[in-house]
Amino acid sequence: MDLSQYAELFLAESREHLSACNQLLLDWERAPANPAPVGGLFRAVHTVKGMAATMGYARVTDLAHRAENLLDLVRRGARPATDDLLQLLFRARDGLEHAVELSVAGREDEIDVAEVVADLDGAAAALAGVRSGARPTATPGPAPEVAGPITPGRLVQVTLRAEAPLKGGRAVLALKKARSLGEIHDVTPPEVAFEAEDFDGRFSFRIGGAAAPGDIERVVRSAGDVEHVTVGGEERRPAPEAPGPSGAGTPDARTRHIRVDLGRLDGLMDLIGELVTVRGRLNELAAERRDPAIDDVAIQVSRLSSELQAEIIQARMTPVWQVFDRFPRLVRDLARELGKQVAFRVEGKEIEVDRAILDELGDPLLHLLRNAVDHGIESPADRKRRGKKPEGEIVLTAVRERASVAISVRDDGRGIDRAKVLARAKREGIVDAHAEALTDDQLLRVLARPGFSTAEAVTSVSGRGVGIDVAMTRIRALGGSLDIRTEAGKGTTFVMRLPVTLAIVRALIAGVGPERYALPLTYVAETVEFGVQATTIVEGREAIVLRDRVVPLVHLRRLLGVAGDPPARWPIIVLEMGDRRSGIVVDGMLGQQEIVVKGFDAPRGTLPVFSGATIMGDGMPALILDAGGLV
Amino acid sequence: MSHTVLVCDDAIFMRTMISDILAQAGFEVVGEAETGSQAVEKYRQLKPDLVTMDIVMPDMGGIDAVREIVKQDPDAKILMCSAMGQQALVVEAIQAGAKDFVVKPFQPSRVLEAVQRVLG
Repeated sequence: MDLSQYAELFLAESREHLSACNQLLLDWERAPANPAPVGGLFRAVHTVKGMAATMGYARVTDLAHRAENLLDLVRRGARPATDDLLQLLFRARDGLEHAVELSVAGREDEIDVAEVVADLDGAAAALAGVRSGARPTATPGPAPEVAGPITPGRLVQVTLRAEAPLKGGRAVLALKKARSLGEIHDVTPPEVAFEAEDFDGRFSFRIGGAAAPGDIERVVRSAGDVEHVTVGGEERRPAPEAPGPSGAGTPDARTRHIRVDLGRLDGLMDLIGELVTVRGRLNELAAERRDPAIDDVAIQVSRLSSELQAEIIQARMTPVWQVFDRFPRLVRDLARELGKQVAFRVEGKEIEVDRAILDELGDPLLHLLRNAVDHGIESPADRKRRGKKPEGEIVLTAVRERASVAISVRDDGRGIDRAKVLARAKREGIVDAHAEALTDDQLLRVLARPGFSTAEAVTSVSGRGVGIDVAMTRIRALGGSLDIRTEAGKGTTFVMRLPVTLAIVRALIAGVGPERYALPLTYVAETVEFGVQATTIVEGREAIVLRDRVVPLVHLRRLLGVAGDPPARWPIIVLEMGDRRSGIVVDGMLGQQEIVVKGFDAPRGTLPVFSGATIMGDGMPALILDAGGLV
Repeated sequence: MSHTVLVCDDAIFMRTMISDILAQAGFEVVGEAETGSQAVEKYRQLKPDLVTMDIVMPDMGGIDAVREIVKQDPDAKILMCSAMGQQALVVEAIQAGAKDFVVKPFQPSRVLEAVQRVLG
C-alpha cells in the first residue's frame, strides 16, 4: 500500500493533536494539582503514535511511545505536575512535532530526539520505581481512574494456529500488543485461562479507541502464530475523544467534517471569480439589449453566483483559534526565558477569517506578542515598585467590525517612552527637529521604520528593530492596517485591522484619467463631492473639514502622475482606518461592484498604493488601491 | 549494520545452537550469559539490540532478569526461550516486559520469525 498519499492527512492531524497537547500542558501548569489534562495528553500522544506507526515513521512512534509510557505512569499515579515533569513533557511535545515534520518531509534521518528520549525513559523508570515500591504486590490492582463511561468498542475474535505451542503466551502477547491501540475489555476466556496448558487458542476481546480494523488486525497478527482475526464494527460510538483545545470555539465533535486541501478551495474560488467576471459581462449585455428574457436569466445567474460565492467564502472561513492556540505556549516560554510573569488571555477565538489571511497572521502577531512580553511587561520587581501586580497581563483579542476583523494585542506594561522615541527620531532625522510631541500615529510611523528599535539591549527575543516593520509590511500586504495606542506606565495596544476575506470584495470603482481603479469598500466610510474652494490647509496638508473633522486629501491624479486637468468638482472617497481618515480625490465615481482579487507582484519602484489587480466585466484589468497605503 | 545479540541460557548446547542460528542469519552475537544476574550485567555493558533469554536459569531466573533489564531500559527487546509446559511462566515473562517467545525445540525458521517480530 502506498502510504505517501496519507502523509498530508497524518501531518494535519498530528499537528492538531500536538497543538492540543500544548493547551493541555498549559492548563496543567496553571492548576498542577488537577490531573485532568493528563488523560487528554495521554490520548493525544497515543493517537499520534498509532498514526505514526501506521505510516511507518518509526522514530515518531518510538518517541510517542516513550512519552505515552511516562504519561501512563503519571496518569495511574494521579501525580501532580512538578516543574521538571512539565518541562520534560513540553520538550517531548516539541520533539514529537520536530519528528513528525521531518518524517513527513522524508528527512527522518535528521531527527534528533536522543536527549528527550533518554530523559523520558529516566523519568518513567523513576516513577515506575516509586510505584512498585509503594505497591509490592505482584499483580497490580485496578488503575485508580475515575470510572468513565464504558466504551466497548470493536469486538476482536482471534484464532491461533492449531500447531502453535504455548498458545496462552501467544494470546497474552496479542492482548499486550492490542493494548497499544486502545483499552481492552471483555477478554474471553478470562486472562487467567491463558496460563492453563489446555487453552485451545481461541479468544476474543473488545478494543476501545479509534484504531481502524486493519490496524487492529495487523497488531494482533504481529504477535505471531495467528491463524485468523475478525474485527467487528463498533458496537457503540466511543465517548467523544479527548477534547481538543479547551475553551469556547473548538469545533463541535458531532458536526461532520471532511478535510479539503486548501488548494482545492483556491481553485474553486478562481473559477467562481471567473464566473463573477462573466456575470458582470452578462449584466452589461442585458442592460444593452433591454430584452426581458435575457434580463431574467441575468438576474437568476446573478443570484445563484452570489450564493455560490457566499458559500465558498464561508467554506474558507477559519476560526482564529487555529492560529491563536499556539500563542499561550509561546508567551509562556518567552516570559520564562525573560524572567517575566505574564497572564495571557485570548478573547474572540471563534471569530472567523479567510484561511488565506489567517495563514499570514501568525508572523505579525508573533512579533507583536514578543514585543509585548519583552518590551511591554516589566520585571516583577519593577512592577511592584510601580505599585502594579507582579504579574503582567497580555490580552489577544479578535473582534469582528463591519467587513473587517480587528485583532489587538494589549499589554499593561510600561508603555512606550515617547520622549525617547522622539529624541531618537530627531537624531535620525525622521521627524522635524522642532517637533515637540509625537501623536500615536507619528509614533507608529517612526517605530515602523526598518531598523528602528527603542530597545536598550538586543535580546534573543526582540530588539533587533525587526518587529513593527515586519508586522506592518505583512499587514499592509493583506490590505490591512496597524494602529498603536500607548500610555507611559499603563501599557500599549496594537490593533491590526484586516479584511475578512481576500478573495472577493465589494469595491468602489473610480476613474482617474483613462484608467479605472478599484477601492475595496472595507475601509470606505463615505463619498462626498467638493468644489475646489472648500479645501483648507491643515498642518501643511490640503484637507477638507467634514462634520468638524479634518480629513487630509490625497489627489490620485497627482499621486499617479496622470496628466491633464481634473474636473471642476471633485468626487472624494473618504477612507477610514481606525482613527485615521483620508479623502481620496478622483475624477469620477463609476459605481460599486464585486471584484475578484488577484495577487499582485508589484514591480520594483511601483508606488506602494496598490494591493492587487482585478478583471472588470468587460475583460479589462484594473488595479486595486490599497487603503492602508493611502490613509 | 547487523544487529547485536546477547544470548542467555545456562546450557552451552543451547547457547551454541541459538548463536549459530542467529549468526547464520547475519546477526552479531556480542555476548553470552549463563545466569540471570550475568544477563543483567552484560546487558548493561553491551547494550545489545536483542536478548534471547532462557526462563529457567540458576542464580537469577530469566523472568527476574527481564524485570531488571526492562527497569534499566524500558525498550529492551527480549525474546524468551521456553520449553513446552511453561505456559504460566511465559505469560509472566511477557507481563514482565518480554517482547516475544519461542518454544524449544527450536526450529531456526521460527526463531528468526520471532526475532524479526521483536526487532520489527
